[in-house]
Amino acid sequence: MRRIAEYVTIWVPLLLSAGHVVLFTAWTTWMSFTPSTLMPVSGWVGWRNYTAVLGTRNWSIAFDNLLLFGAGFVVLTALTGLGLAILLDQRIRGENVLRSVFLYPMAVSFVVTGTVWSWLLNPGMGVQKLVNGWGWTGFRFDWLIDRDMAIWTVVIAGIWQASGFAMALFLAGLRSVEGDLIKAAQIDGAGPIRLYTRVILPSLWPIAVAVFVILLQFAIKTFDLVRALTGGGPGLATQLPALVVYDFMFQRGHIGRGSAAAVLMLLTLLGVLLPYGAWKLYRQRRAARA
Amino acid sequence: MTSIHRRTVLAGTAALLGTAARAQGVKPRLTAISQWSAGSDGAAITALGKKFEERGGVWQHSPVPGFTTDMMNKLRAQIMAGDPPACSQLKGPEIAAWSKIAPTVDLSETVAAAGYEKVVSPDLARLHKPGGKWAALPLQVYRTNAVYLSKRAMDKAKADKIPVTWDDFNVLAEKMKAGGVANPIANGGTRPDDGQKFEAALVGISPAAYRAAIMNLDAKALNGPEIKAAFAQTRKIADWMDPNTAAQHFSTNLARFIAGDMGIMIQGGWAQGVLLNAGFKLDDFIIAPGPTNNGKPVFLLNADAFIFWQRKEPDLIAGQKLMAELVMDPAIQTMYSQITGSIPVRSDVDLSGPGWSDGQRETASTLKGAIAANQAVLSLAHNMAQENGMTAAMIDVITEFVKNSKITPEQATTRLAEAVEGAR
Repeated sequence: MRRIAEYVTIWVPLLLSAGHVVLFTAWTTWMSFTPSTLMPVSGWVGWRNYTAVLGTRNWSIAFDNLLLFGAGFVVLTALTGLGLAILLDQRIRGENVLRSVFLYPMAVSFVVTGTVWSWLLNPGMGVQKLVNGWGWTGFRFDWLIDRDMAIWTVVIAGIWQASGFAMALFLAGLRSVEGDLIKAAQIDGAGPIRLYTRVILPSLWPIAVAVFVILLQFAIKTFDLVRALTGGGPGLATQLPALVVYDFMFQRGHIGRGSAAAVLMLLTLLGVLLPYGAWKLYRQRRAARA
Repeated sequence: MTSIHRRTVLAGTAALLGTAARAQGVKPRLTAISQWSAGSDGAAITALGKKFEERGGVWQHSPVPGFTTDMMNKLRAQIMAGDPPACSQLKGPEIAAWSKIAPTVDLSETVAAAGYEKVVSPDLARLHKPGGKWAALPLQVYRTNAVYLSKRAMDKAKADKIPVTWDDFNVLAEKMKAGGVANPIANGGTRPDDGQKFEAALVGISPAAYRAAIMNLDAKALNGPEIKAAFAQTRKIADWMDPNTAAQHFSTNLARFIAGDMGIMIQGGWAQGVLLNAGFKLDDFIIAPGPTNNGKPVFLLNADAFIFWQRKEPDLIAGQKLMAELVMDPAIQTMYSQITGSIPVRSDVDLSGPGWSDGQRETASTLKGAIAANQAVLSLAHNMAQENGMTAAMIDVITEFVKNSKITPEQATTRLAEAVEGAR
């Protein structure tokens, strides 16, 4: 009798959520092969929506940006988070306060982050104007309006938002390193730098990978941050795939092409998640063998 | 005696307006959705609702705040659920597109009874009668190529003449620059902002080319010299803008515009409402018609409208009829436009009364002149000339051109023609 209750509590919600994900994914995939425009309709157009999406400038710009933004955001956020975590790990006073301060941006929505940074980074009213006003009149920081650099402003705002989260994970990892191990290293005469590079950081790998994967899926689905910060501009310079999907589906009234773009996004995500899954499986097997 | 007389008149009016529904004993009811929730837009539609209630109707308006697309998503969901609103906001060629996915009310009889078609510009009428049947009714008209001149910037430039042609315009902008106006063009950085600069340039250079290339998507016209000239003019405008505007709304720079730090703004009629709302006076700026090289007035039309979706409920049907009559009523159009700063759709409304501004009077007379000269055309940047997919593809090219001075007018012309082919 208790077993039934257990099964019900676990499986019903699980099936429901799995059904949601699988059904809607299947529906979107189906839509991407139909001639749907304003409304979903049945029919078959083969790969036409895909070729149309892949042929637009918006998509190619968005995909290039995703590579730049994804790499920049993930690597720099993880490094910033790790740096903060190591500094916080020095048994300092006020750690709790500082931890909350660094985590706090995570509680702010991306729209707010984007809007605030769009003021800070605007050369006419933000950082550049401030520094110019201090007397350094030649100072330039106009990435927001520079087509080639604008995507990095999104990276900056993203780092500000997410590095606290990476910090929290890394800090938990740092705290879980066994004290004996650290003591042993110290007895062997390892200095603080050696202690970190040789002993502590290598044991953080599993956490680092988790941070990478979580940040990467953040990066792939980024939408509101860009919308509030640059609006996809200057011109089309900071388009990202999620913006293209929204644009096709809701602005251009082309559900078929929007769905195709969404499926392409999903494939990108799978490109990240499948290797991660394989890596985890490999580790589990190795751990079982050892 | 007087009171009896007034009552008779009132009763007579009610009998006239109450329509057939009243005779059947049904209380007209209207379910409506729009994006107008706040500011002058919200005030205007609330006032319209009050009028609807005054005539015995039940007004059920659900505003969907945000972008037009948010409103459209709600509409799409309701249509898919088989429960469309009796009436919804929709405009331009989207009326024809959406009327294909769900049945609309045929308003032709009501429109004919009101003699409405005679007083609406033909291009506008065409948009609202897909397949020859009136399915939607325009509510108010805005001009998207209005020129706003900052009085203080004019003083700096020692200029008092309002520019007529694009050459005049360019001379004035140069004078402003020389006179110490930091950025002769005040602008926002959004997509429609960029689109408006280009469409104003093209329609001023050649309304005929605008009609052929932008409205009819004629391949030859799209590659024509007028398009190149329009891109060249757009480049001049872009060079006079403040690049720091990034993706900001045009209203961010209004204070600098009034202060004479920026000189000329090419915006829609709504900018007047925004300026007044921000506390600036009509004496601070001049509203002028868009530049026109052939000297005859040109007018880029943008019109908000209501589309009516087929419902079976007798009270909703009665409500739709009452709403249609209200929207066509000159008094209602007057009330609405006086709140929002637009001009009435009807060309026979008298704007000499005290509730109108000089800018609105000038706009209305320019529209009349432009229609007479066959130079009133539909705005691209505000989704009147093409369906949203085509519009977005064309604006992509324009916004990249505005933001990237390395693209030449020739390259932009080629890209625009390619974008049109790709989105067909």
